[in-house]
Amino acid sequence: MTAWLAIAPVLVVIVTGTVALLVRRWPRLQRTVSVTGTLAYAAAVGALSWEVALAPDASGIAYQLGGWVAPFGITLVADALSAFMLAITAVVAVYAVVFSVQFIDEQNQRVYYYPLFQFLLLGATGALLTGDLFNLFVWFEVMLMASYVFVAFYGNARHTAAAVRYVVLNIVGGAIMLLGIGGLYATTGTLNMADMAVQLADPATNTAPVVGLSALVFVTFALKAGLVPFQFWVPSAYRAAPLPVVAVFAGATKKVGIYAIVRLYFTVFGNTSIGVDVPGVAGDTALTFLGPILLVMGLASVLVGGLGAVSRDSLEELLAYSSIGQIGFIAVAVGVAALTPSLRHLGIVAGLIFALHHAVSKGLLFLSTAVVRDMVGSTRLSNLGGIGERSPTFASVFLVGGLSLVGIPPLAGFFGKLFVFEAATRQFASAAGDTTATASAALILAVLFAGAVLTILYATRAWIGTFWGAQTEGVKSGVLDGTQVAILATFAVVVLAVGAGFEPVYQFADAAAEAALDTDGYVEIVGLGGENA
Amino acid sequence: MTLVAAATVGALFALGTFLLLREDLVKVIWGLAIISQAANVYLISMGGITEATSETVPVLSSHHEPFADTVDPVVQALVLTAIVISFGMTAFALALSYRAYQENESINVTEWKQ
Repeated sequence: MTAWLAIAPVLVVIVTGTVALLVRRWPRLQRTVSVTGTLAYAAAVGALSWEVALAPDASGIAYQLGGWVAPFGITLVADALSAFMLAITAVVAVYAVVFSVQFIDEQNQRVYYYPLFQFLLLGATGALLTGDLFNLFVWFEVMLMASYVFVAFYGNARHTAAAVRYVVLNIVGGAIMLLGIGGLYATTGTLNMADMAVQLADPATNTAPVVGLSALVFVTFALKAGLVPFQFWVPSAYRAAPLPVVAVFAGATKKVGIYAIVRLYFTVFGNTSIGVDVPGVAGDTALTFLGPILLVMGLASVLVGGLGAVSRDSLEELLAYSSIGQIGFIAVAVGVAALTPSLRHLGIVAGLIFALHHAVSKGLLFLSTAVVRDMVGSTRLSNLGGIGERSPTFASVFLVGGLSLVGIPPLAGFFGKLFVFEAATRQFASAAGDTTATASAALILAVLFAGAVLTILYATRAWIGTFWGAQTEGVKSGVLDGTQVAILATFAVVVLAVGAGFEPVYQFADAAAEAALDTDGYVEIVGLGGENA
Repeated sequence: MTLVAAATVGALFALGTFLLLREDLVKVIWGLAIISQAANVYLISMGGITEATSETVPVLSSHHEPFADTVDPVVQALVLTAIVISFGMTAFALALSYRAYQENESINVTEWKQ
């Protein structure tokens, strides 16, 4: 059957990465291999997406690794949610790798840049596809291992300092995740996520420990996603890593954290009733426990990110803080979904669409920052100005990214913001009559609104500082790379296309949200006991 | 046995956390190594020790009773993986700390200007 499609993206990256490692002596060949491999990856993801989400008779598929029957072996599960996240990753990865060929200088390209890039992609892909909790940890580590090297890539004082902080935080995060996984295994007797969902639904299982244990894994996911109060690594790591890789960090690896939260809490823990009273939390499921926490963290991220971005003085720091804030928007949407059962579907759709928007818009902006760095040699706003006069084409590319971030129709960002605000407003409406709930829903709306205003502020600031005003010395003498701008121009078209041709994107996100909430469907895909084996 | 395992894990975490909060980068890396190992000890104790039967350990069907107690093989496999990962991480962290020391001209992380 088509079960092998579920493993195809993993195989493609693993082969590309290994071949890129072998042909290291021939740089041109290595570049060709990486670009072709990444395009093949995108094709594999496209085929998988068609099969599990977009085709008229689409249904999720599972691949049992090594032929071991679930729940004993490791299962790779591709459903619409995984496919949606993979599609986001693939788009960003293709642009990042093509851009790297132009941007990263010859010498640096030869120090394992491409193999590492593929292994970063491999970690993200594996994490998005796996149906096994411990395997998720392993894929996270694969992804992290490559990202450590990228943060330390340029190897100077600030890069190594940033890398040390990043490594320390993530190793501690990994240990904490292990604690959560070990505890969940002891509670349910299984590591397979589908089987775990089945065990937790069984009234005989003691589900009380799940609250604390799921909180432990949640901490690690939030650390990956860079939510407040785990955001400290984001600005320095984003400032240190090569910019095309930062586009992948912001577009793909951060989203893996969000994906893991959605997958575990909504699909696996779902409506597991938990027999303990947590003070200050209404309801008794894992989701009602998650909701308020995620909302608070999301709202704090929106504010910290927004305020940070307004006050930074270099483009990539501004964008790094902005990405903390934007992840906050996603977290708020998911938090609303967790809190209010009637808004579950809408909240997830909002989160996913915002994730897509953030990946493409922020990817475009980070790559544009790379163009500026190449041209001027600096990205400090005080050294920039008047690039708009030099190249109206490049200015319009940046403008598309900036406007999408702000949320101007018909760009990708418009729909992201629209759905997040719709979810928040609906929650406000559904809270009618209950004073506390109304007040908190109003607070959520107010913070989101403040976040949106801050986004307008910092996007405007980046735009004015870089493209308007008098040309500085650096800008006058700088040479703009036409090929880089041409690549980004096509990326800008993608950002436009996501918004303009929104109907299929919405259907995809809708199917993904459906898959995220359909625990029984997930269990059926995995085929416990070996019907699919 | 449970109490011993719990006390060991607790002590290791305490020591790891203490080292993690030092200013000396090498001690911080030691702290990381110890915390990773603490998580491994915790993980292995999650499997528990149970009475062996030929149901859970198929190879015992060809042996005679009495059987020795067995542990859950799944957590052992997990811990093996986790050990390898933490070994790689520690090696990388040590190499990185040396480079960071060279570049930042201090092993004391609070003195770093970046």
